[in-house]
Amino acid sequence: MSLVTDVLERMRSLVFRGREERDAAEELDFHLAMETAEHERRGLSPAEARRRARIDLGGPAQVQEEIRDARGTGLVDQVRQDIGYAFRSLRQHRSFALVTILILGLGIGANTATFSLVNALMLRPLPVADPHRLVTVGNTARTGSLSEGTPSADLFSYPAYDDLRRETRTLSAVYATGRTWPLDLRTSGSGPGEVDHPRGRFVSGNFFAVLGVPARLGRTFSEADDQAPGSGPVVVLSHGYWTRRFAADPGAIGRGITLNGTPMTIVGVTPPGFTGDLVGLERDLWIPLTMEPVLATNRDWLGDRNVSWLLLMGRLAPGATLEQARAEITGLVSRSLLDHAPADQHEAIERSLAEVGVPVGPGATGFSYTRHAFGPTLLLLMAAVGLVLLVVAANVANLMLARGAARTREMSIRLSLGAARRRVVQQLLTEAGVLALAGGALGLLLARFGSRMLVGLAGPNQPMPALSLDGRVVLFTAGLSLATVLLFGIAPALRSTQVELAGALRASGRSLTGGSGRLRLNRSLVVAQVALSTLLLVATGMIVRSLARLNEADLGLDRDRLVVAEIDAVPAGYSGARLAALREDLGIRLGSLGGVERSTWSENGLFSGTESGTSIDVSGFVPGTPADRQVAYDDVGPGYFATIGAHLVRGRDFAASDNATGSRVAVVNESFAAFYFRDGDAIGQTVVSDSTSYQIVGVVTDVKGREVRGSDAPRLYFAMAQIDDPPGRFNVAVRTAGDPAALVEPVRRALQAADPGLVISNVNPLSRLVLESLSQDRMATRVISSFGALALLLAALGLYGVMAYATVRRTGEFGLRMALGAQQSDVTRLVLGEALRLVGLGAAVGVPVALVAARLLRNQWFGIGPVDPPAIAMALAALLASAMLAAFLPAFRASRVPPLEALRSD
Amino acid sequence: MSTDLLPGTLELLVLKTLSLEPMHGWGISQRIRQMSRDVLDVSQGSLYPALVRMKRRGWIRSEWRTTENSRRARYYLITAAGTRELVSARESWARSSGAVNGVLAFEGGAP
Repeated sequence: MSLVTDVLERMRSLVFRGREERDAAEELDFHLAMETAEHERRGLSPAEARRRARIDLGGPAQVQEEIRDARGTGLVDQVRQDIGYAFRSLRQHRSFALVTILILGLGIGANTATFSLVNALMLRPLPVADPHRLVTVGNTARTGSLSEGTPSADLFSYPAYDDLRRETRTLSAVYATGRTWPLDLRTSGSGPGEVDHPRGRFVSGNFFAVLGVPARLGRTFSEADDQAPGSGPVVVLSHGYWTRRFAADPGAIGRGITLNGTPMTIVGVTPPGFTGDLVGLERDLWIPLTMEPVLATNRDWLGDRNVSWLLLMGRLAPGATLEQARAEITGLVSRSLLDHAPADQHEAIERSLAEVGVPVGPGATGFSYTRHAFGPTLLLLMAAVGLVLLVVAANVANLMLARGAARTREMSIRLSLGAARRRVVQQLLTEAGVLALAGGALGLLLARFGSRMLVGLAGPNQPMPALSLDGRVVLFTAGLSLATVLLFGIAPALRSTQVELAGALRASGRSLTGGSGRLRLNRSLVVAQVALSTLLLVATGMIVRSLARLNEADLGLDRDRLVVAEIDAVPAGYSGARLAALREDLGIRLGSLGGVERSTWSENGLFSGTESGTSIDVSGFVPGTPADRQVAYDDVGPGYFATIGAHLVRGRDFAASDNATGSRVAVVNESFAAFYFRDGDAIGQTVVSDSTSYQIVGVVTDVKGREVRGSDAPRLYFAMAQIDDPPGRFNVAVRTAGDPAALVEPVRRALQAADPGLVISNVNPLSRLVLESLSQDRMATRVISSFGALALLLAALGLYGVMAYATVRRTGEFGLRMALGAQQSDVTRLVLGEALRLVGLGAAVGVPVALVAARLLRNQWFGIGPVDPPAIAMALAALLASAMLAAFLPAFRASRVPPLEALRSD
Repeated sequence: MSTDLLPGTLELLVLKTLSLEPMHGWGISQRIRQMSRDVLDVSQGSLYPALVRMKRRGWIRSEWRTTENSRRARYYLITAAGTRELVSARESWARSSGAVNGVLAFEGGAP
């Protein structure tokens, strides 16, 4: 009870502060009047009475102080006072305040921008019901994978999903989600050219129910939609897609559309803000899983246990924990895989289970390929930008120290008048706090542009999540601002109040040669700034050189003479022999285009992200581990290597004669030959894959066909014409005489002309695909370079500030020197030497730290070692140049002051 | 003439005074002086802060009234919680003062 009244009373005293003060004054007045009256009653004159009363009662001011103390609002009053004082003080020194707030805004803004990207990609939970009870099953990065062959434990087939769904007890419900191929959406009444390509996803009927996402319009899927193939020809649209494509028309519900030729009905729209369970890959519509075989008659992925393409998400049953779910699911999946797999797959499955296991994790942040791809880079950026903030803090601390030094007089007066040191420090910290909050607010503003810029730097086609300023980001900014206050506010505050009272109050009395020792803290801060900048500059140098190496890396093929394209012939019903005929036709059409030298095809395209693997037996080779039998492969068309420009070391390329009737042949790369045949000749040796024997007829140099950073691994090539079940989806590579970019459109048209039902996609010059594959590296390079430049600028500014301040204080000393015979150049040399010393010290600290960091990040560098002298040299050169520039002006000014004036200065 | 009071004793005296009738600050100090036969003289610097603290603890409340001389003054009134506190504070005071008296009266030998 008394606690409640206490708090209420305190708040009342706070709110009605003015009235309280007046009341108290009036009360004391009344007391005085009564006391006076009492004295008068005893016989004193009114004037005497009043005097007596005053003496007896003592000074009202002191009583007022005691009353104020008793109210218990002391701290709040003090803070209120301090804030007001800080505002007035900063308004007086406007330029200082503006510069400080600007620098803080830049530093905090850069950090907030990077953090909001990290937040969107890694921390923000999905906008669904109770996301923290969700559990993912499968490798959350493999959102677009489809693997045919031995089932793995981190990507699931439909029957495997079904098994798990029925048997699990720790999860109250599980849904499955899988990729679609490129979708064509047509509405009735739209012309043949008016086709849309929405980003879709196959999901099981309970998808929306498990996530707890209601329909904004119409309805979402039910179990009935997913009962059997074709039972649910319906789609649910995302709010954004409904707005963009259907103009937010409520009549869209129930409207018919055709998706890749199949009639479907729109049944619902999700609430705004929900774009699926893939972070960074917003979806436009969702399709029931069982519609898959209907939409692609030639490819039934549902019944085949060897087609792994689904990721699963479940909701924990009440009382179940993640650990329990993990244990149960691992057991269920293992049993399901082994029970249904033929004996020859058991070994591979068990190995997969042992190596990879069944990934079961928290599902609040959904699935994301982007997170996996960009995550490490982002964390690197956060580290870099944190360094920048430290430089900023050091800079601001220096500024505040300088300001504090200019206020020694004010501080000494306050302290000598009886102010408690703690109180003055509190006030200075409040001032720092006001600056930090203003800087933080500016930072939030700048971060909006900054994060958009970051996403833009990632590249045009990179899947990036939508950025928002949610609570977590604001909290981060506030926390950062506060931490910066403590960082740069405490030292100056303590230093400013450490005044030698008598000496400071004296108007004159500073020795001519003294004073430079006081700058030790400033100097240390500058050294720290230089060290941090060195670190960032070396990183910049290394990342720039690394990128240059990446850009000009030898891929083992002619990247600047190729156009590549993806062809999907399955929707049009091609298979078997018809595919061979189609490929011939395509080859002829392409060959007739002007500027085309030759063309070929392959199952896995160059830089297209797909890969095939198989297990083989090689004649004369005894595998040490089961992994020795696993190799990546591709099946290709005639003249493949000549077309892509790969160099045949031995033997021959594939020819048109390598077809279904000819003997089975294979080509291997150099790594394959070295691994399996050591010193022997690979030509003529036999490779057995899938019970078929292939004779090796050629050895080709290693080709980097997937990513520039790829390591050299053994690779096997077959002729597509000799594959029993040729792929309906394959890639075409076209070698051009001139600039491939000019031939992109002609190639697309030529391919489409073969059959309008073919789905032609991703027609690009190979060089562009290679460039895009490096977009992350480019982004990291640009951002870290910017940070490096920013840090250098701030360090130079800091150096300039300290040098300017130091030389001002040493004016007397310089005057003395010159009066004693020193030349102007001597003084200039003195100042520049000082600057060099500071920079040298900073670099001496920064370079070893940079070397350590470079070693830790050795996976980041391409083509250069963890110790890269050119980068270090570049960094030092940049530092030296900026140091000289920064110190030049102060040095110049110092040497120009006439000696007499210097001696006289105060 | 003023005497040092043990902490808490002032609150006890104020509560007792206000339990007789509501009054303003000056009146309280006068009453206490009167009731203690001029021994206890409470200064402004002790009384008013104490009154603020007692208000915070909910033992008393205040209201502005007009005196007989038509002046405005802040009167203090005891609350129910204050009345309860008075009872318990009296008991405490009796206990501790009795104990002090006991020590002072001790002559020696086993009690």
